[in-house]
Amino acid sequence: MAEVEFDQASRIYTAGAKPAVNRLDLEIADGEFVVLVGPSGSGKSTALRMLAGLEEIDGGQIRIGGRNMVGVPSRDRDIAMVFQNYALYPNKTVGENMAFPLKMRGVPKEERATKVKAAAEILGLSEYLDRKPRALSGGQRQRVAMGRAIVREPQVFLMDEPLSNLDAKMRVSTRTEIAAMQRRLGVTTVYVTHDQVEAMTMGDRVALLKDGELQQFATPAELYDKPANAFVAGFIGSPAMNLFTLPVSEEGVRMGSSELALPRSLRSRITEAGLSTVQLGIRPEQWTVGSNGDGAGVKAQVDVVEELGSDAFLYAHLDDGEQTPVVVRTGGRSGARRGDQIALTPTSEDLHLFDPSTGERV
Amino acid sequence: MTVTAERPAELTPRRPDRGPGSRADGWVRRAPLLPALVFTIIVTQLPFLFTIYYSLQSWNLVRPGSRQFVGIDNYILVFTDSQFRQVALNTVLLTAGSVLFSLILGLLFALLLDRAFLGRGFIRTLLITPFLITPVAAALLWKTVLFDPTYGLINFVLSPFGVGATDWISTFPLTSVMVALVWQWTPFMMLLILAGLQSQPHDVLEAARVDGATSWGVFREVTIPHLRRFIELGIVLGAIYLINTFDAIYMMTQGGPGTASANLPFYIYQRAFLGFDIGQSAAMGVVVVVATIIVATFALRLIFRSFSGGEET
Ligand SMILES: Nc1ncnc2c1ncn2[C@@H]1O[C@H](COP(=O)(O)OP(=O)(O)OP(=O)(O)O)[C@@H](O)[C@H]1O
Ligand SMILES: [Mg+2]
Repeated sequence: MAEVEFDQASRIYTAGAKPAVNRLDLEIADGEFVVLVGPSGSGKSTALRMLAGLEEIDGGQIRIGGRNMVGVPSRDRDIAMVFQNYALYPNKTVGENMAFPLKMRGVPKEERATKVKAAAEILGLSEYLDRKPRALSGGQRQRVAMGRAIVREPQVFLMDEPLSNLDAKMRVSTRTEIAAMQRRLGVTTVYVTHDQVEAMTMGDRVALLKDGELQQFATPAELYDKPANAFVAGFIGSPAMNLFTLPVSEEGVRMGSSELALPRSLRSRITEAGLSTVQLGIRPEQWTVGSNGDGAGVKAQVDVVEELGSDAFLYAHLDDGEQTPVVVRTGGRSGARRGDQIALTPTSEDLHLFDPSTGERV
Repeated sequence: MTVTAERPAELTPRRPDRGPGSRADGWVRRAPLLPALVFTIIVTQLPFLFTIYYSLQSWNLVRPGSRQFVGIDNYILVFTDSQFRQVALNTVLLTAGSVLFSLILGLLFALLLDRAFLGRGFIRTLLITPFLITPVAAALLWKTVLFDPTYGLINFVLSPFGVGATDWISTFPLTSVMVALVWQWTPFMMLLILAGLQSQPHDVLEAARVDGATSWGVFREVTIPHLRRFIELGIVLGAIYLINTFDAIYMMTQGGPGTASANLPFYIYQRAFLGFDIGQSAAMGVVVVVATIIVATFALRLIFRSFSGGEET
């Protein structure tokens, strides 16, 4: 077990092009579960593969347990990796697949057999040990890949979207299993996903990447409550946060024809930053819905109602002449219908404010 | 009511009609193919039947009028003929040796071409060239340009090392033919194995590296099992072609000295067209065909087994 450090680590695939991973700084504690998340092409896999020794480190350093990994081949890094398509050895049986990392490290045969048997027991693979991978279902293959990683007892687990080939239900149950197993084994884990729900539920901390740049590295709660910039705010949370670019007024901001009063603390932060327009972020659950008649709040018209049982999402547009879309969460059985006129007021004090030019949090 | 009545009829799987007339229907559909079938039978099966018929006769073209039915005498002669056994052994040696060496060389070159280096495309073209040369021309090239005792390149290159004017072809006739065949067949094996190498899934190789395998470990544990069916295919196809080698032997050694470098096709040709013994050579031909069918059945079963297995996930 070991801590992992990315220290200004960069990867440049083609000279002159934009780096796929640009000066990445991450400090991962021993035993921590860190999720790398971001949109497609943001460099998550590249960062993970740099750590695995499958991509060069073109700048900076990556350290595992304090040891610099530049120039160290994969086999000497004491890591185990689970690949998106599992990358099982097609000509080996399940048992041989799981024993392979031990065999390559010269572990004697009897010890290999005991360890594989123990791991197979945990993963419920005992009856499949003599099968070839092609005779397994997707979920079973995924577990074999996990088994191959855990028999080794490595310093670090690396996983690149290990759940993306499973169906929705399997994904949810396997997600919990992986998280629980990681907590039990206490092995430092770096997990790549593009699914923010996975990131939020599994990670001790989440690193959000975009275009090879680290946007924020924090706990899931902090990422949700205090997004460092407008990109993070929009990426985390489902449905996404409502972001409006609005002119600043006396009492707060102007939203269409009405004025949205902001609490004093927020107003002072705007004045400090000297902004005349501001990007305001309001999560779907930070609205209260009133009927149109009572005057207060922003007027909007409901386009779509999504009833989820426990709660409902209203997809509406504002009556501000530009039909700005807005998403609102209400309790289930809200009774709202398509075409309804509603008035929206932000409930919470801690709305999110971003500088419209840089996207940084104000 | 109508709905419930119709449903069972929909659910039963449709069976092809077996009513009267369907047989005739089938023949109407197949009839246009008949000429092709008849032609194929005439071209392939009739000659074989004639060969079997000839093989039961004593018939030497040099002695007209001597033709008579002798039963299986010719076959007995074939199996007691020590030359035939010698030639059969030559065939096995030549085929197995050529396949084996071209496979090993092909594997080495394929591994070389599988990595990126400057001028790879050019080298690849050069390496493929021997396969594109007419076999007769290739044999002639080896015989005259390379192996010739007086002006051959091999002796020229080796002369500084004290190798005198060796007549390679008459000293090592079978080996010389084999060298020429290996030279021609290495590119074929190389291309086949290269295709295998390049169809390897990348992530599996990476997984092996992460799992702690050295380059040799990856090669032995992952690459070779993956290449197995390509290698098997190379062996089967190479053997099918090389067992019939005629041109190289005809051009380089004429099967000589004696029958030292003759293989079965060449020996049968000698018996039929130089010895004019039609009955004997027909019997040999039949023996060879039967043996080949047996071997080929096993070989083809091997190919189909390894390729229908569908190793990829
Ligand atoms: N072998 C390569 N050669 C050149 N560019 C590459 C290579 N691999 C990845 N890239 C580029 O690097 C960037 C990051 O790729 P990467 O695979 O890390 O993205 P990702 O975040 O894993 O995306 P996804 O969620 O789609 O897997 C992309 O712009 C991609 O085009
Ligand atoms: Mg990826």
